[in-house]
Amino acid sequence: MKFEIMRERLLDGLNDVMKAVSSKTTIPILTGIKLEVTEQGLHLTGSDSDITIQTFIKAEENGEQVIRVIEEGTIVVQARMFNEIVRKLPTSDVEIEVNEQYQTHIRSGKSEFHLIGLDASEYPLLPEIQDDRQFVIPADLLKSIVRETVFAVSTSESRPVLTGVHWEVKNGELVCVATDSHRLARRKTTLEQLPEGEYSVVIPGKSLNELSKIIGDSSEPVHIVMTQQQVLFKTSDVLFYSRLLEGNYPDTSRLIPNEYKTTVTVNGKALLQAIDRASLLAREERNNIVRFSSLEGNVVEISSSSPEVGKVEEEIQATSIEGEELKISFSAKYMMDALKAVDGQDVMVQFTGAMRPFILKSVHDDAILQLILPVRTY
Amino acid sequence: MTDIKRNKSRIIFHIDMNSFYASVEQSYDPSLKGKAIAIAGNPKERRGILVTCSYEARARGVYTTMSVWEAKRKCPELILLPPNFERYRIASRAMFDLLRTYTKQVEPVSIDEGYMDVTEIDSPMTALQIAADIQMRLKQELDLPCSIGIAPNKFLAKTASNLKKPMGITVLRKRDIDKVLWPLPVLDMHGVGESTGKKLNSIGLNTIGDIAKAEEGILKEALGKNGIRLKNRANGLDDRIVDPDSVYDTKSVGNSTTLPSDETDLMELRKVFQTLSAKVANRLEAKRLAGPTVSIQIRDADWRNSSRSQSFRNLVYEKDKIFEVAWSLFTKNWDGQPIRLLGVTVSNVVDRVDFTEQLSIYNFEEHAKEEPILKLVETLQSKFGKDMITRGHTQVRKPTYESKTSFSNDFLDDHKDRENK
Repeated sequence: MKFEIMRERLLDGLNDVMKAVSSKTTIPILTGIKLEVTEQGLHLTGSDSDITIQTFIKAEENGEQVIRVIEEGTIVVQARMFNEIVRKLPTSDVEIEVNEQYQTHIRSGKSEFHLIGLDASEYPLLPEIQDDRQFVIPADLLKSIVRETVFAVSTSESRPVLTGVHWEVKNGELVCVATDSHRLARRKTTLEQLPEGEYSVVIPGKSLNELSKIIGDSSEPVHIVMTQQQVLFKTSDVLFYSRLLEGNYPDTSRLIPNEYKTTVTVNGKALLQAIDRASLLAREERNNIVRFSSLEGNVVEISSSSPEVGKVEEEIQATSIEGEELKISFSAKYMMDALKAVDGQDVMVQFTGAMRPFILKSVHDDAILQLILPVRTY
Repeated sequence: MTDIKRNKSRIIFHIDMNSFYASVEQSYDPSLKGKAIAIAGNPKERRGILVTCSYEARARGVYTTMSVWEAKRKCPELILLPPNFERYRIASRAMFDLLRTYTKQVEPVSIDEGYMDVTEIDSPMTALQIAADIQMRLKQELDLPCSIGIAPNKFLAKTASNLKKPMGITVLRKRDIDKVLWPLPVLDMHGVGESTGKKLNSIGLNTIGDIAKAEEGILKEALGKNGIRLKNRANGLDDRIVDPDSVYDTKSVGNSTTLPSDETDLMELRKVFQTLSAKVANRLEAKRLAGPTVSIQIRDADWRNSSRSQSFRNLVYEKDKIFEVAWSLFTKNWDGQPIRLLGVTVSNVVDRVDFTEQLSIYNFEEHAKEEPILKLVETLQSKFGKDMITRGHTQVRKPTYESKTSFSNDFLDDHKDRENK
């Protein structure tokens, strides 16, 4: 195997696949990345067995030669080491050559590294995925779907399935739900080019976070293929595979009430800032609780107190308050997370009781819905 | 105020009841007097480690923490009694009540020992006379022997009471520490246990005098802050005040048990954790407490001790939750070694009166059932004031003694209740 490549392009590709490489892997060969060069270009693959990322660097792009392939071949090299070396090479071109016994030479200008590589046939094959059932989402939309839901996944392993986001394709819609059992984020997206049939998978939150780091902000289409064990996100030059979480995702649809006793419409930004101020008095997260009370004249009172620190009260003007009077306590952090996820100026907060979940959504549409379980005070 | 007090030289007593449980049994049944008796957790099982024994038994080489069969071998006529904690509580309470007839400055530290600050006692008697009077009255009125240490601070008083047992009264002055304290091995120092002792020996410190003269830096390196504290103590310095209110600072509630045999069976261990979790939950319930941290203690057959803990956003108090956490901590950390002792503790506990609970999608419906009554209470409170009506269970403190372990601090509740009567 022998080829020359523009260093910048190699670095870009490495940057993406390195996101899948973990130093904590139990499979030794996965500390490496696989390089496979053909006449068409270079494939780079990195994996931690949960996530596998493959990028493709075309030999020729827009008439510009990126890679000069002298001899095709494959090799696995130590990921961190290789990445650091390429990063620090002196010139803008890199030559990579593999001799017998996986001896890998990396040359750039007058610098030459000899790395001992590994047999690429030992490297796990990419998951086999039949891509006859797929749908497409623009990259920028996919990123915002992830951003609006993934923050709500559980960080505790006590219910592993809750560390993922539930993706369900049904009736022409993609519904993504994340919950840590204390709050829930739901994002509905109407899809064009829907596949036949229904899908229901749970994608690890960590995978989605990595995914959104490597897909661009463009409207480039991302093809999504779901199978029993894997999900594949495919762009023109990246394949992103993730393992799915096993186990039954709780039925969250029953949590979202059909009727509400109190509906408050308020400027989201004003509410966010008031909650942020009220939470200043809470020293630890566990006590980071604010109280929300509806008053006369479309006024909402936000208050918080901490026994040894002091207390704070603030009134904000709501656009409207309909229904029963209400006093409810909740986590300031959950409320702020939710308000940040709901775009738009005015938000609608709807309650059914002090011990029941309440929801937040934009007044304009309910594509994004945030649900929060209150805090009971004794 | 306290600063002024602190500058003045103080007179602190440490009252240490002599083989308390055995003495209580002897006073309860005088036919046991003069005999070798011992209290064992459960005389029939190996958990029958001696909790305490009478001085007559000690004379025969029997000591606390010895196993039952070993004690029986050394002293075949040893009379073994099961513990009767209710009896000890009553005696303990009577003992502290007697101490409080001298001064309010009484700080119980365990069921059978406490500190008194007698500096400001308005009495014509000298400190030594007061101590003699206390000792005599405890003997005459309660039929219980004790040793009393008299010193200018808690550490020295504790050290002093330990110097002469039973029925001793020992004065330890600061100027005497080089003769009395310094020649003793480090393990005799209050606050130095087995592991600290080993660390001290490993840096060449063998006597309390060695600690007193050691470089601060060396001690700090080996033992951290505790090293500095030990050096101060070894030099007779200790500025802790006698705090009658320290009994209010319950910080953790835990239970542990020695297993009848070294155990490796997962199902048996699981049962033990279920029992321990239930006990801890019951005690938390009895005291209306809850805490955010659950920890487990493990001692294996080789006496290797380890502990693991996990903290939560919500306060924990339910049996099932405690068990779930304890069991997952255990299964994640157990290396398959036979287990000798297991413990479960909920710590950083606070009163449930000012506690909050983040509801979850799994439990909100139960809470929602109470909404109507809560709403009613709230309406009444806003009309008539917050104290006019509160939920019943937040006030009641059941006087139950759930704990049957000797190292439980539940007896301290007796002292808290005292205020309410």
